[in-house]
Amino acid sequence: MKKINIWAWIILFIGMIYFFLPLISTLEFSMKMIKDRYTFEAFRVAFTDRVFFERFGYSVLWALLTITLSTLLVVPTAYWVHWKLPKARPFVEFVTLMPFVVPAVVLTFGFIRLYARPPFFLNDRPILLIAGYIILSLPYMFRAVDTGLRAIDVRTLTEAALSLGAGWGTILTQVIFPNLRVAILSGVFLTFAIVMGEFTFASLLAKPAFGPYMEEIGSMRAYTPQALSLVSFLLTWASIGLLQWIGRGRVQEQVAGAH
Amino acid sequence: MAFLEINNVSKKFGATEAVSDFNLQIEKGELVSFLGPSGCGKTTTLRMVAGFEMPTDGRIVMDGKDITDMPANQRDVGMVFQSYALFPNMTVAGNIGFGLKIMKKSAEETNQRTKEMLDLINMPEYAHRYPYQLSGGQQQRVALARALALRPDVLLLDEPLSALDAKIRVSLRAEIRDIQRKLGITAIYVTHDQEEALSLSDRVVVMNAGKMEQVGTPFQIYNFPETNFVASFVGTLNTAEAEVVDPARGLISMDGVQFVSADDLNGRKKGDKVRMSVRPERFNFADDQKKDNLLDCTIENITFLGSVVRIQVKIGKTVFNMDTFNNPFLELPKIGDNGQVTCSKEAVLVISH
Ligand SMILES: Nc1ncnc2c1ncn2[C@@H]1O[C@H](COP(=O)(O)OP(=O)(O)O)[C@@H](O)[C@H]1O
Ligand SMILES: [Mg+2]
Repeated sequence: MKKINIWAWIILFIGMIYFFLPLISTLEFSMKMIKDRYTFEAFRVAFTDRVFFERFGYSVLWALLTITLSTLLVVPTAYWVHWKLPKARPFVEFVTLMPFVVPAVVLTFGFIRLYARPPFFLNDRPILLIAGYIILSLPYMFRAVDTGLRAIDVRTLTEAALSLGAGWGTILTQVIFPNLRVAILSGVFLTFAIVMGEFTFASLLAKPAFGPYMEEIGSMRAYTPQALSLVSFLLTWASIGLLQWIGRGRVQEQVAGAH
Repeated sequence: MAFLEINNVSKKFGATEAVSDFNLQIEKGELVSFLGPSGCGKTTTLRMVAGFEMPTDGRIVMDGKDITDMPANQRDVGMVFQSYALFPNMTVAGNIGFGLKIMKKSAEETNQRTKEMLDLINMPEYAHRYPYQLSGGQQQRVALARALALRPDVLLLDEPLSALDAKIRVSLRAEIRDIQRKLGITAIYVTHDQEEALSLSDRVVVMNAGKMEQVGTPFQIYNFPETNFVASFVGTLNTAEAEVVDPARGLISMDGVQFVSADDLNGRKKGDKVRMSVRPERFNFADDQKKDNLLDCTIENITFLGSVVRIQVKIGKTVFNMDTFNNPFLELPKIGDNGQVTCSKEAVLVISH
């Protein structure tokens, strides 16, 4: 028994080293901007760059838009598949895997070829960027929502609501969405993290997003990009932490309610 | 005209016919149960009344109005599911008030009705609990209240007690029957449990393989099964092949053992093959009272079931079950003993098909 415990700790420790060592050395490197001294100068430079905030803000905005549209697209679709078309599930799941099958570069050129000509003329609109981001988010959003839907008895809950006179709008907003809250959130945070770091779409469509900015900085300076990648890493962590905190909050509320 | 009419309804799923030519007239305030083995089409029939499935054929008429093509959310029908199906994100009061809110009732009326419903199910102090904080029985009572809050014309229950413990099942089924009587609501109750169907229904529809086998009061269904299926599915029944000996006197022979039956054997000839059956409780030992049929037997097995003792007796070559009330002051026979059992000629049923 004791022996197993020790081994578990050792394996955990090795895992932690594997995970943290690159981070620590990145941090160490980023703090060496001024010779012979450890400082946060690189971080100061990064954060005082006006462009950093512009680019970051731009990406946050599009990430939020992507999340909203992707949720509005995925939740009703996944719900409908569960309730009426369970046979179509493998097909829909396959479609959502598109970003893993078709490389982003190919997707972007496909977009441009299709939409940049009559009758669309959409080549210069951010809508192409959003469309790309939504496709990127599909595997994560769909899987999260799909798992959430499996955990509730979609069919019976829908029928119960129908027999009480509810229409589709009411069922989606009052029964399905609230019960998928945690599932949707996990998809949302993954999408957020992905959109924040996305490079290909934004770069090929020449949009001032955060991903290309990191790339530009990386080719121009030595220390700041290390600081920036740490910052974006921390932001991703913060997102996931937020998700777990919200999820845990719900469980606690339920347990507390039981007394 | 009956309140709810199911006229020549059938339902096909691809090639399989889940329900065929279903016909039933239900009067206002009546509780009718659909009884049959799993997969016989009970749920499908109920779902067609609820509007979740469209009949392939036939019409459904409620209160004089043809509702066959009406969407489920416009029908005046309440539904209770086996799995309770309470909305997990809403409190008990939220669940009960859900339909009222959709009907745009005032907050005052919603609260008032919700309170009424909580009183009806004897759970007034549970208004603010969430479904996961309730036992199965309590959840099902809330589901019942939720279905009744809109005062629907018809209440549909699909095996509402199947997921519960035996004890709660018995008390809750009495409660459901009480509430149904008190409100005078027309109800269809689906179950595969014959005791449930017999104990709480005004009428029972016995179904098998998508077809109605027999419709009747519990008394009729139990005592006068019309088909072999009903006879064997409802209650424990002894059945055996027999041959008509004398149709005029009601004599039949089972492997040479003669029985006399009160059933009408008109239209049958000597030598016709028939199926005969006797309920276990209709047999007695022939010690104190001798009836129309007096039969030599051997005791094969004795099972103590509490209030009842089930004894297997071999008559001729066939083993029959015989139930006697448990009497602690009476000595039971021993396995292997020879004896005599008796039953009246009314107890010997000749089943038509
Ligand atoms: N949606 C469906 N698609 C295909 N077959 C179905 C469907 N629903 C029910 N069935 C079939 O119809 C028959 C009757 O089912 P059901 O009404 O659920 O029976 P019961 O409720 O009496 O157990 C079964 O053979 C079942 O497999
Ligand atoms: Mg069923």
